[in-house]
Amino acid sequence: MTDTQHRGLTTHPVAEMYAQEYKDGKLSRREFLVRSTALGVSAAAAYSLIGATPVAAEAHRATPPMGGTLRIQMEVRALKDPRTYDWSQMANVSRGILEYLIEYNADGSFNGVLLDSWEANEDATQYTLRLREGVKWNNGDDFTAEDVAANFIGWCDSTVEGNSMAARMGGLVDPDTGVAREGAIEVVDPLTVRITYPAPDITLVPGIADYPSAVQHRDLIGTNPLDHGVGTGAYRITDYEVGVQARLEKNPDHEYWGNTYLDEVIFIDLGQDPAAWFAGAEADEFDMTYETVGEFIDLFSAIGWTQSEVTTAATVVIRPNQNSEPYDNQMVRKAIQMAVDPQVCLDLGINGQGTLGEHHHVCPIHPEYAELPPLTVDPDAAYAMLQESGHADHVFEIVSIDDDYRRNTTDAVAAQLRDAGFNVERTVIPGSTFWNDWTTYPFSSTNWNHRELGVIIYNLAYRSGVAWNEFGYANPEFDALLDQANGILDAEARSEVMAQLESILQEDAVTLQPYWRSLFRHHKPEVINADMHPKFEINIHYLGIEA
Amino acid sequence: MGLFILRRFGVMILTALCLTFVVFFLTNLYPNLEKLAKTQGNARMTDAEVASWLDRNGYGGPLIVRYGEWLGVVPGWTREGADGEVTGRCIDAATPAEEAPTFCGLLQGDLGYSTVSDDEVSNIIGGRLALTGVLMFWAFAVMVPAALIIGVLAGMKEGSRLDRSLSTVSIASTATPEYVSGVIFIVLLASSTAGISPWLSEMGWIEGRTLFLGSARSAMDDVTFWNFTLPVMTIALYGMGYIARMTRASMAEVMTAQYIRTARLKGVSFRNIVLKHALRNALIAPFTVIMLQFPWLLTGVVIVETLFNYNGFGWTLVQAASNNDIELLLACSIVAVFVVLVTQLISDIGYVFLNPRIRIS
Repeated sequence: MTDTQHRGLTTHPVAEMYAQEYKDGKLSRREFLVRSTALGVSAAAAYSLIGATPVAAEAHRATPPMGGTLRIQMEVRALKDPRTYDWSQMANVSRGILEYLIEYNADGSFNGVLLDSWEANEDATQYTLRLREGVKWNNGDDFTAEDVAANFIGWCDSTVEGNSMAARMGGLVDPDTGVAREGAIEVVDPLTVRITYPAPDITLVPGIADYPSAVQHRDLIGTNPLDHGVGTGAYRITDYEVGVQARLEKNPDHEYWGNTYLDEVIFIDLGQDPAAWFAGAEADEFDMTYETVGEFIDLFSAIGWTQSEVTTAATVVIRPNQNSEPYDNQMVRKAIQMAVDPQVCLDLGINGQGTLGEHHHVCPIHPEYAELPPLTVDPDAAYAMLQESGHADHVFEIVSIDDDYRRNTTDAVAAQLRDAGFNVERTVIPGSTFWNDWTTYPFSSTNWNHRELGVIIYNLAYRSGVAWNEFGYANPEFDALLDQANGILDAEARSEVMAQLESILQEDAVTLQPYWRSLFRHHKPEVINADMHPKFEINIHYLGIEA
Repeated sequence: MGLFILRRFGVMILTALCLTFVVFFLTNLYPNLEKLAKTQGNARMTDAEVASWLDRNGYGGPLIVRYGEWLGVVPGWTREGADGEVTGRCIDAATPAEEAPTFCGLLQGDLGYSTVSDDEVSNIIGGRLALTGVLMFWAFAVMVPAALIIGVLAGMKEGSRLDRSLSTVSIASTATPEYVSGVIFIVLLASSTAGISPWLSEMGWIEGRTLFLGSARSAMDDVTFWNFTLPVMTIALYGMGYIARMTRASMAEVMTAQYIRTARLKGVSFRNIVLKHALRNALIAPFTVIMLQFPWLLTGVVIVETLFNYNGFGWTLVQAASNNDIELLLACSIVAVFVVLVTQLISDIGYVFLNPRIRIS
């Protein structure tokens, strides 16, 4: 595939520093790629900086034959303003019409879609985005810097309910007005946009590669793409029935800037029960799954489907909420943490399909990961600590959603707590109602998707008072250190601050976070480029099917 | 007769009113509204955002007023936003504020808006009902003849070996609920790793991987023997045993009647006794039971359509309930009331024709 190649920077002083770190063995290849491509160095150039063959970067996709129909099993949810998307599934449908500035690849690198290249200045306060030439909207308009600027302003608008892009825009949002800071977004020329942060920020690139950042036409910001159908993508939605199916076909009235292969893509909703998906696969209802989970991984392989696996920073937290009794007591939380062996959760929860976590929600594949001394698991000491805290009689009710791995993992936690002597009650809530109160259950489990950087997770979930802080965690010391980490572009230096942040979370026993999940997908052998993506992205432009 | 039908319709409207009010009340309890706001807005909204969302989308007023709006006896809500944009119950993309009617409820023929499907309820429910109609038709086409034959055969000679074996079968089938028989069918007949399909395909007797399909999704476009057998059998089997038992009891009673004995003494053949003398009288009781099966089937399709992923009325009901889709759920209730009461009406009228001793006045 050559059409997604972009002419990014060939080098960058910080990237060269990373390259040195890679050669010294301080960075893995993946970390190196994430960081240097985030600075605007093209994937090919990044590979060449470390002396690796760029072939692996550019040839990670095969070229499928033209034509064909592909059926994908995936939930079909009602579309809305993309800024407020809360499910990757929505973006997977709209990605056929609404494309992104930058996309995140399964190998950890970024490459431009609507952007040709981007670069950061040395202290990561200013980013220059250069647009791809020759891109047109399917209503005939040219795609210009005005579109990009309008989207950035839309993303920064935190007054829109449920606009999760505002959090991703960080310092671009003026905290007083709740909208984009004056002068933060500049149109330099019709193909160049300059973004200026008040303080160093390293999350811009991952932020605009995330699924709610679909790029809309400049006049259609805040609208539902299903209502107008205007986009730069090669497809159009012909049929959209929530809970049933969505059908896209190649748009014959639009000249797409890149290559695309399939004539028709159908997303088929078979509900949330993996058993129903498997029954559907046996009845030949679809060609690829959105995600395969638990015991069904082996079952799908057994019927001859191809398995695709990717290691991610996706995880499950089983967390007490510190706003409820008795979890405001640090000793209670610590006792819970000491009583639970992550290995048991990994084995019973996801059949060992993952790697161990350390209860601080930063994954070894994150560039700024800092290794801490191993945690001790000691049920007897845990119970002693619980008695000392005076809550030994408390009945711990642990809530989980009614599905495969989250329920099993939570059961594993409950069983270990019972073994340690805790009084435990388990409550299982159906998927349709679970999310109503997900941030406020006193003790419950939640799945967290993969994020590209550890600081992104901390900003989203652990900072005091943020919307997704389901832990009820408020620690000014933590917030101050996090602000500091947000400004350090050099991951080596950042990881020193990160080590402190991680150990604060461990000391405060904020959550159980026993493992990192590998994600799986299955497809028929004839489906091409359907590999699993760490963020569940499906880009139908790349997919193909052998006749 | 006319008065009778009229009265029945009166009862129907009253029942529909009561039922929809109960549904309306339950779906409008605050936790349910909160759920609605979060599924519509963002699953991770804060409490303040939820309150403002509910207010902006017309869920803020008193319950009884909103029920009136839905019925179409109270003017639909309107609201002027901070930027001067007017939104309201009767206003949407197609009808701007100036042209929008004052009332838009059930009486005006507006079933409302389905929040989960992001579409008019009337656009959704028609197609779904048609799908369920197809399923019900086939279920009845299998269930009724089979049940009557089994019942009549069993009831001809009470206590015979034939009677005992058929009765056992019908008791077993009616004692097996759909969610049990459906799962058993899937495991036995529609799995490539369990049941008889792997064996059949090894012997080369079937082309595909499984004998029948365990998912009826493809039946929505094109009904075939392979994709529709299991859902139809699952529904039919449950009702079949029940109707067969009723037919048997009724048949057995008729067979002991004086006029049957007279006919036998006259020397009429057994075959003619059963077909010409006994059958019509024996079918009166099963007829009511068959009509009563319609409401039962409505509950049956909920399970079967969910199990086999067939997106009909029952599946829609489940979706509407689990997503707290208020107006879709209300429309489903109206349809359910209508189906139940109309079938009862037909059963009462049909009774008159089958049994001349009964008069409706």
